[in-house]
Amino acid sequence: MKVLRRLGVDVSFPEDQTCCGQIAFNGGFRSRAADVAKHFLDVFENEEQVVVPSGSCASMIKVYYRELFEDDPETLERAQAVGEKTREFSDYIVNVVGTSDVGAASEGLVTYHDACHLLRELRIKEAPRDLIGGVRGVELQEMENSDACCGFGGLFSVKFPEISTAILDEKLKTIAESGAGAVVANDCGCLMHIRGAMERRGMNICAMHLAELLAEDGTDG
Amino acid sequence: MPPTPEEHPNKAAFLLRVRSALGRTDPIVHMPDHPSLKSNAVRQQEKVRTIVARNEARRSSALDRLARTAAAASWNVRRAGDAEEAASIVAEIAQQSGVKNLVRSAEDVFKRVNIDAALRSVGVSPAILASGRSRSRGALRDMAFRADMGVTGVSYAIAETASCAVTPRKGVARLASLAPPRLVLLIEPEQVLETLDDFFAITRLNRMQARGRTINYFNFISGPSRTADIEQTLTIGVHGPGEVHMVILG
Amino acid sequence: MAEVKSAEFKKASGRALRDEKLQHSLEHVMEHFVGARASVIENDFGDENWEAMRTRAAAIKQSTLEHLDYYLDMVDRSVRRNGGHVYFADDAAQANAIVLDIAKRNGVKTVIKSKSMVSEEMGINHILEREGIEPVETDLGEYIIQLAGETPFHIIAPAMHKTRQEVSALFQEWLKTAPTQDIKRLCVYARDALREKFAAADMGISGANFVVAETGTVCLVTNEGNGRMTTSAPRIHVVLAGMEKIVPAVEDLALFLRLLPRSATGQRITSYNTFVGGPRAPSDEDGPEEFHLVLVDNGRLNLLRDEVMREALRCIRCGACLNHCPVYRKIGGHAYGWVYSGPIGAIVTPPMTNMKVARDLPYASTLCGTCKDVCPVKIDIPRLLLHLRHKVAEGALGERSTTWMERLFVGQWHGAMRNRKALEGKANLGRLLTRPFARGGKVRKLPFAPMVSGWTASRDFPAPAPRSFARLWREELAHDNAHPNGTEQG
Repeated sequence: MKVLRRLGVDVSFPEDQTCCGQIAFNGGFRSRAADVAKHFLDVFENEEQVVVPSGSCASMIKVYYRELFEDDPETLERAQAVGEKTREFSDYIVNVVGTSDVGAASEGLVTYHDACHLLRELRIKEAPRDLIGGVRGVELQEMENSDACCGFGGLFSVKFPEISTAILDEKLKTIAESGAGAVVANDCGCLMHIRGAMERRGMNICAMHLAELLAEDGTDG
Repeated sequence: MPPTPEEHPNKAAFLLRVRSALGRTDPIVHMPDHPSLKSNAVRQQEKVRTIVARNEARRSSALDRLARTAAAASWNVRRAGDAEEAASIVAEIAQQSGVKNLVRSAEDVFKRVNIDAALRSVGVSPAILASGRSRSRGALRDMAFRADMGVTGVSYAIAETASCAVTPRKGVARLASLAPPRLVLLIEPEQVLETLDDFFAITRLNRMQARGRTINYFNFISGPSRTADIEQTLTIGVHGPGEVHMVILG
Repeated sequence: MAEVKSAEFKKASGRALRDEKLQHSLEHVMEHFVGARASVIENDFGDENWEAMRTRAAAIKQSTLEHLDYYLDMVDRSVRRNGGHVYFADDAAQANAIVLDIAKRNGVKTVIKSKSMVSEEMGINHILEREGIEPVETDLGEYIIQLAGETPFHIIAPAMHKTRQEVSALFQEWLKTAPTQDIKRLCVYARDALREKFAAADMGISGANFVVAETGTVCLVTNEGNGRMTTSAPRIHVVLAGMEKIVPAVEDLALFLRLLPRSATGQRITSYNTFVGGPRAPSDEDGPEEFHLVLVDNGRLNLLRDEVMREALRCIRCGACLNHCPVYRKIGGHAYGWVYSGPIGAIVTPPMTNMKVARDLPYASTLCGTCKDVCPVKIDIPRLLLHLRHKVAEGALGERSTTWMERLFVGQWHGAMRNRKALEGKANLGRLLTRPFARGGKVRKLPFAPMVSGWTASRDFPAPAPRSFARLWREELAHDNAHPNGTEQG
């Protein structure tokens, strides 16, 4: 929000918003997901543009609503309209606002994790990297296999915690090997997962959302 | 031609279930729209004529490409200026490997490339791997399994993948190019095609023009027999030849 | 039919994760396949051409499936015109009976087999053995696992979980060979043992990579030459093929032969491709006198019937989705509990076998989507997994197929997410409940929530923020209004 406002975007936060419904959809509970998704449409359909800070939420809205409402043509139409004006955060800044310099400043090496849905559903790969590159004092240091899954997978991470953690171990290894002081991702799920394990293990690397990095202005805050 | 085997009693019911799974009640009468099925014999002939012309025009680059892809696929590639040189290359390979039992097919290419004389000159006497009145199929198999080198011609060689199409028939046993641990294939320039597409277009035309005499069996040989089934370690020469030579005339 | 052990998924995957040796081979082999595939595609075609090829292959396979009854009929006519016999088997039992009947009629004692996944579905080795007929797998990997009494670990690398020491031990026991650490030596042992079988066998059984409808040609893709042996040495050749293996025209093979080996092993082409459409001609020097093609349903109709799942039948069994799957790469193939493993196994096993027994499989994925990107026939595996999850959670299986925790959670979530007030209320409750376990903004253990305790075993869970974002936002707006010049810099 801070970043968007800094760019001069007129931002609002509809207070009645809750969730896009992906969690139930991915669990197979489609009718419940549909109820929640309809609430999402109610809240957002009159907005000019919807900016979503998480790759998987954005892909739910832009890609999977089509599937969710395939037998409900009326809602499908609404969903498509909202889907079209929905942009993921980094994509919005780079391709709609048209800048990769948001006036942020920080320091050190930062590595970037390609969140699966962001990369493979929305095909957003360069925008977040451009934005990281635009932060003064920060250098992007690619990790090995940045596009490898972190093992979160929503429900998967609680249903199969052992497998999920084993996949995450690989991710943590490549993050650590990159030598970066921070890992940036654009998906709240991946971040919760990665951060949770790094904190448990006392790793001295910070996991942050791209927006958090972009909000930094070099004043340590 | 042997009689056509009968239809399986479960066929009709099976197809009915498939059809109903697809949400249809009646069989499809018209051929589904599929580009590579549509072309009839006349059009296929036209297509093949173009393919042949292109391959003729680009023969020398196709030969170079074949030599390149073959080397990359672990073939030992030798190019011979003429038939005589080809024959002596075969003899040289046999001699270097200390070959004792050499079998070859009976094909036209050996009328042009006289490997028998060349082999005899280095002390190897080739045997023709073919069954006959004096040789049962069991004996043929034993002979093939005993041989330490096999030599045959090809129907086509495909530059794209270094694939040699070998078509077993009278005079060309399946086992000649399979059972011995060492294989030499003789390739004549006009047998070389640029791509897999070229090959299958020609195959389709041949089939359309066969009139009852169809070829039920052919192989691509595209390199040495290999496996990586133990610890992902590449090992050559499991069931087929581990050492493969391509002698290209031209 | 082969036993379905998918209900054991969780336990079996745990075992695999704790097997260090297995973890090592998985990493090594998968990395090799992934690297080889990427480089051969880049060298030979580039991303754009490859994408176009995948699109074309997907369209051909999909169209074939949409007209499957037509093409099955075409295959039948073509093969019989070539002098071969064609059978239609509804299930594994029928297919087994057909093969057994052919074997018995011909007094067959030894059967040599070239890799066939359908034969794994059928569990035919067991059936043959029971009748006193010896089945011998001839693909080296399959041979090893047959000696070990196991099932394939991977579609194209069935014995990748075995070390050379284990193979040597198996060969010592079964072939009475000397112990060795030399892989080449081990291959020679296998070659010699199998040569005897090739010479003795009366019948060869192979699978089919493709069955060409217009010509009745079965195409086999192998590297070792066992496929050629199986189709050359014995007097009878039986092909077992899933009914979805059809491509319409012989010219389609060019495309599929470009896609399959590159996707599978990263090879430009395999060492051998065998094309066989019937018995040998009377004048031929060698080759089988009888040719039998058994087209098998065995649960495939369940996929065909479901318009969403139908595309799973496009699969050409390359194994690329396994090699690239973060889950498969950690747990390997056996945990999936049936013949097909990895992402493709997770989508075909429940409909082909038993939804209830295999209900964990659709959930055994992070939905990362890599499988979809590497699939040579563009099967949208994540979408199909979600479709199956929907069936498990809300479909014919009934409520009991998900855990009570999951249902409770989704119920509560559903209540909270349809209006903000309810959400804030639940969130406040959550803050209250987790506060005793939170240390410095983290929750290390949540003893009362079994669904989440798996998470907190290895990872911290973020404690709910003391104030919600909505509340912070309200405060920020109020702050802005009070200080209209703003406090932000930049």
